[in-house]
Amino acid sequence: MPEYKGMVQPVRATPDEMRKIHIEPVPDEEKPQKALEYLDEIRKKFRSFVLAMESCTKCGQCAENCHTYLGTRDPNNIPTNRAELIRKIYRRYFTLEGRWFGKLVGAEDISLDIIEQWYSYFYQCSQCRRCAHVCPFGIDTCEVTFIGRQILHWLGITPKLHASVGAAMERVGNHTNLPKPGIVDTLEFMTEEIMDEFGVEVEFPVDKPESDIMYIPSSADFLLNPYTLMGAGMFFTYIGANWTIPSTVTEAGNFGLLFDQYYTQRHNVMRLLNAAQDLGVKKIVWGECGHGWRAAKMYIPSLADRPVRWPITHIHDEVADMIRKNELKLDPAKNSQPVTLHDPCNYVRACGLNENMRVIMRACVSDFREMEPHGMDNFCCGGGSGILFDDPEMYQRRIQLSQKKADQVRATGVGKNGDGILCAPCSICKAQLYPMVEEHELGVEVKGLIDLVGKALVWK
Amino acid sequence: MKLLIGQILPYITVTLFTLGILYRLGRWAGARIVHNITLSPWLKSNTEVAIRIGAEAFLFRNLFRFDLALWAGALLMHFALLNILGGHVVGFGFLGEQFAFIPGISPELSKEMSDLLGTVFGILLFVALLYLLYRRVALTPVKQVSNPSDILWLVYLLVLVGVGNIMRLFHAVHVEYEMVRDYILALILFQPVMHMELLDNVFFLTHYLLVQVLLILFPFSKLMHLFGMFAERWIVNRVYKDPAPGLPNVDVAAARRAGIGLPSGGAAEEGV
Ligand code: HEM
Ligand code: SF4
Ligand code: SF4
Ligand code: SF4
Repeated sequence: MPEYKGMVQPVRATPDEMRKIHIEPVPDEEKPQKALEYLDEIRKKFRSFVLAMESCTKCGQCAENCHTYLGTRDPNNIPTNRAELIRKIYRRYFTLEGRWFGKLVGAEDISLDIIEQWYSYFYQCSQCRRCAHVCPFGIDTCEVTFIGRQILHWLGITPKLHASVGAAMERVGNHTNLPKPGIVDTLEFMTEEIMDEFGVEVEFPVDKPESDIMYIPSSADFLLNPYTLMGAGMFFTYIGANWTIPSTVTEAGNFGLLFDQYYTQRHNVMRLLNAAQDLGVKKIVWGECGHGWRAAKMYIPSLADRPVRWPITHIHDEVADMIRKNELKLDPAKNSQPVTLHDPCNYVRACGLNENMRVIMRACVSDFREMEPHGMDNFCCGGGSGILFDDPEMYQRRIQLSQKKADQVRATGVGKNGDGILCAPCSICKAQLYPMVEEHELGVEVKGLIDLVGKALVWK
Repeated sequence: MKLLIGQILPYITVTLFTLGILYRLGRWAGARIVHNITLSPWLKSNTEVAIRIGAEAFLFRNLFRFDLALWAGALLMHFALLNILGGHVVGFGFLGEQFAFIPGISPELSKEMSDLLGTVFGILLFVALLYLLYRRVALTPVKQVSNPSDILWLVYLLVLVGVGNIMRLFHAVHVEYEMVRDYILALILFQPVMHMELLDNVFFLTHYLLVQVLLILFPFSKLMHLFGMFAERWIVNRVYKDPAPGLPNVDVAAARRAGIGLPSGGAAEEGV
């Protein structure tokens, strides 16, 4: 169902697919009532949600600061209006003013149409938090869409993409359904590639007991972004680390954050902690994945079911630290094409990776150009929160959602000669931008940041 | 009417205002901060947090960074409002002689200053509210986010402030500070106020009624952003410290000396 009464919507998971991720879909006629019950339960728990519901002044500042509104000019894509889709229901049932004054204060009865609206607009939000960053009060619409998507999920409405990713994670431990033999094969192939291209010997140890470091790559790096994984392998080899990749968690992402923070996200956390314990590691290092890094860094402390004994850092933190200490020999001339950096929102607004990415960038490339705005003020790529839908209507929307990013990249001029690099060190950003740089004809190639580190390393 | 607005309603107003606010704050406190959703770049100390929240609350930092026109209008409105609220308290409290506490200012001069400041801020507040109303109906995105109540509040405040300004600007309906002070004092002491001349002024009665209705509605309206602002910032602006970088059992210099990764037998010599 790619459209409903003129609204674009992602294709949904079938009831059977929902059951695979432990949800029994609610029949349509019961949905409005159930939605209210779930909303009532969840609103009492999350203060971030209550405040988004109760203290917006409708100043409108978030409008021109959300790439989804800029790209579509659809009023429901204004962050506060996106939140209003649930706020009008919240007011009607859970506030005195809504009960007394109704439409005057924007309160409305629940109906199936409203639930369908939620599905359309909560899955156009990329949960990038730019609205929270610019709001005079810090109201975070991302918190609203997290909860909106959670309620939809409990009702049995989840995009096919997200549901299948959730099921794959539970089955094999990564989003792409790659089993252990496939993982080992791919890594052996990468070893050969590295030898051919860079002339160095790099091993990718899988499930090696008594390793010091457990590296969690994004599963997309096995297939779509091989240079990121190769770069990480080269880095760990270069520094002589005793490291390993756990076959049970070959996934830096955690789609649970994006549609089901109760079961799916928590389950993935347990899986990770089990792997760390089984392999006896001392530290966990995370690969390039924006939402996944946020889920790991900021949510494991509140989701873990036991004391977390392993410090968890991002590979960018570690590389930047070594660059600061002058431990790595890097030659920027090896990356001489013009490069611009797309800051993954989750890194710069939720994880504080801002400066570290730039430390690495400056050490590894010779022609680095910032786009405007950048850092914490950046705009999302338009694919954030896994809204990488491929059906024709949603794909068209994705082109619109990436418009702002395209304008920014063009303004840097890195693609003028068709040999520019758009560094986007997040798997979802990469997956969104690979096709989008073609759609917008930007003349750039999309790469990760560790890709550039791997290439710049001087081995002798 | 006089009895209702002047004698009875004030007590009801104060009660509802206080209980209403406690009710709303209680609702917020009941829900928890479940996950850490601090916004980065991180604030590294409580001083930084205090500075950030202060800058947002009193200078409207984010409006300044992202929308200068709104910043100017909103800051002017709130600044004028703050001064007027303060002016109501000290003006009536000290009968306009508050500035005489500053050495070198005579009570007469203080009264004149008090009058002047009150008039100027009253007009500024009115103008700023007009601008905010203009914005709300003229700018497409702002119009698209507005509910009827958002526009009504601005109109309501314009009328309230307008009536206040009329009392200041037109001598015939002017109200003396003493009359108000005596009236408030009587209310506080639970004494009858019905005989007071003040309550015969229709403009005062209107202004006063509008204020009381505002206070009653305050806890159930967007005006609660006064508290919401601090509650929300308390969630998204906190201190966060990154775990220390540094990998266990890694000695880069030794690894490079050993030539790890370099293919054995010759290739190493070529220098990759
Ligand atoms: C520390 C206290 C306060 C802060 C930080 C604050 C901040 C803000 C901000 C940032 C806005 C959005 C900008 C705008 O739309 O003008 C706003 C709007 C507003 N504020 Fe406040 N405010 C505070 C206290 C108050 C109080 C006490 C009132 C009481 C009447 C008030 C009345 C309003 C109104 C009516 C609006 C809406 C203006 C519009 O519709 O455009 N504010 N406030
Ligand atoms: S910027 Fe904040 S206060 Fe203003 S409309 Fe958006 S969410 Fe509401
Ligand atoms: S989180 Fe990002 S996409 Fe979603 S409403 Fe806010 S600014 Fe827009
Ligand atoms: S996909 Fe990338 S740019 Fe977009 S929200 Fe995630 S981190 Fe942000």
